[in-house]
Amino acid sequence: MLRVLIVGYGNPLRGDDGFGWRAAERLRSAIVDPDVEVLALHQLTPELMEPLSRAERAIFIDAAWTAAAVCRTGSAFTHHLTPSALIGGARSLYGRAAEATLLTTPGENFDFGEHLSPAVENALEEIVERVQKILRRPPPSHA
Amino acid sequence: MPRQKIVIDPVTRIEGHSKISIHLDEQGHVEEAYFHVTQFRGFEKFCEGRPFYEMPSLMARICGICPVSHLIASAKACDSILAVRIPENTARLRRVLNLAQIVQSHALSFFYLSSADFLLGMDSEPSKRNLFGVLEARPEMARDGIRLRQFGQQVIEWLAGERIHPAWIVPGGVNEPLTAERRDRVLAALPDALAIAGRTLDWFKSEMERFREEIRTFANFPSLFMGLVDAEGGLEHYDGKLRVLDAAGHMVHDGFAAEDYATYIAELAHPWTYLKTSYYKPLGYPEGTYRVGPLARLNLIDKCGTKRAGQEWAEFRDLERGAVLSSFYYHYARLIEILFALEKIEELLAAPESLDPNVRAYARANNSEGVGIAEAPRGTLIHHYKVDRDGLITWANLIIATGHNNAAMNRGVLQVARHFVHGNRLEEGMLNRVEAVIRAFDPCLSCSTHADGRLALEIELRDHAGDVVDVLR
Repeated sequence: MLRVLIVGYGNPLRGDDGFGWRAAERLRSAIVDPDVEVLALHQLTPELMEPLSRAERAIFIDAAWTAAAVCRTGSAFTHHLTPSALIGGARSLYGRAAEATLLTTPGENFDFGEHLSPAVENALEEIVERVQKILRRPPPSHA
Repeated sequence: MPRQKIVIDPVTRIEGHSKISIHLDEQGHVEEAYFHVTQFRGFEKFCEGRPFYEMPSLMARICGICPVSHLIASAKACDSILAVRIPENTARLRRVLNLAQIVQSHALSFFYLSSADFLLGMDSEPSKRNLFGVLEARPEMARDGIRLRQFGQQVIEWLAGERIHPAWIVPGGVNEPLTAERRDRVLAALPDALAIAGRTLDWFKSEMERFREEIRTFANFPSLFMGLVDAEGGLEHYDGKLRVLDAAGHMVHDGFAAEDYATYIAELAHPWTYLKTSYYKPLGYPEGTYRVGPLARLNLIDKCGTKRAGQEWAEFRDLERGAVLSSFYYHYARLIEILFALEKIEELLAAPESLDPNVRAYARANNSEGVGIAEAPRGTLIHHYKVDRDGLITWANLIIATGHNNAAMNRGVLQVARHFVHGNRLEEGMLNRVEAVIRAFDPCLSCSTHADGRLALEIELRDHAGDVVDVLR
């Protein structure tokens, strides 16, 4: 079984929206562990349900419009899936799902551009440490 | 009752942004219906001045669903600018990549976007009529859809390094040969994918009887059909010549070459959409309306070229004496093409030559223009570039599958609206059928809206009462 699946998602050409994608790119070079898979994606798609059903733990990384956006739930659109919809889907389809954590940071600028705003840039600096802390936790007892 | 307009905005479960407007007369009967594409891209313009060898990577950014088709058509246009004959194995590897793309894109269209209509019904509760509704009602089918799409994406990743926007295909070839380890991974995953394709086809054929009314009315009319065929008239997605067939199944043109496309294909712009309409030039518009994509390809060919898909194709052709005309059968054709693509991938990779390390031809720009054609999942894709003496792009024209189908899609929307929509008793299921006819074509709108010459834009100036006082075109 895959121990941890890390999914950083967003569009690196849309300012702070690229936070998750860039975080995944950093984590990919920082974490050398065959039991940890890191994916840098533009968006969440239904195919993720299958690896999520095989992983013990999942970490989603995304930028949010506001802190409140972290709490948004499922969507019926295949282009706008949320971590919770994927976890629910994995449970329905494959009988189990990873214990999931969503790490977000509030973004300020989602306009065209490859640069992060200063606060999001700082969050990117912290993300490797935050994720590594989660990776050191004992495995979940059940999923 | 006054004249009314029903607007379906956005059209759901398709790739890209669009709306449909249905115009009703005083009796509530459908008078006109339009499919409006509301997004706009400008790839032909902003690539001007770029070196031609950047074009495959640049053009692949047009789409996240079918970037491989753009890569291939673009690379073929660049091969022509280089004036090289690419190594034999390169064509094989590009072909495998295109077929993998067809598998993943067709799986997305059938399972993610349309299966809810078949499984839950056209009139089912709209909030459940989506992939998650399928997941609840038929989890085994949702798993199959996910697995099949995953297979196509994995093959793209194993061959080209990335699932989306791989940089593997380049002018003159591909930038790395296939390894035995990667080939074996693909071959090992094929039996599972073939089993899914087979059982999905069996299921769909058993369900088609329930959709008799949709089959009768979903863009079911005579038109021409166009697509690539190989030298023997077989199913082809990478190379060959463009064949045009009429509704009775008679040959209109048995194959013109890619570089002659402008002699046979013309485009026109409408003021109500950013999507241009292509037509068969010798017949003019609208007589030259044609359809492309899976339905057209299966109508055009003399044979399929693989065993199981060939048997399915023979059964498909038994539906009509001439060409199969109902666009509802795009779904059926899509499933047969998935089977074909899987069998063909197996055949192409089983050959020892697939590991040949000679995969790229090198040259500088030797021609001042080049045309590349390939069959994208949705139909024929044409890239045409001109370069200056330094190899910088001076002009580009793209004709995308969805543009070829635009006239037929609009006619289909009108046909479905006239049959199902009645202004005095409007039901959601009626409107879903109007959307579903568009879904049958599986349009990719982000691919298909391009500027070449005049913009299809109309600006209305209205006074405070909403009356139009001037129109700028």
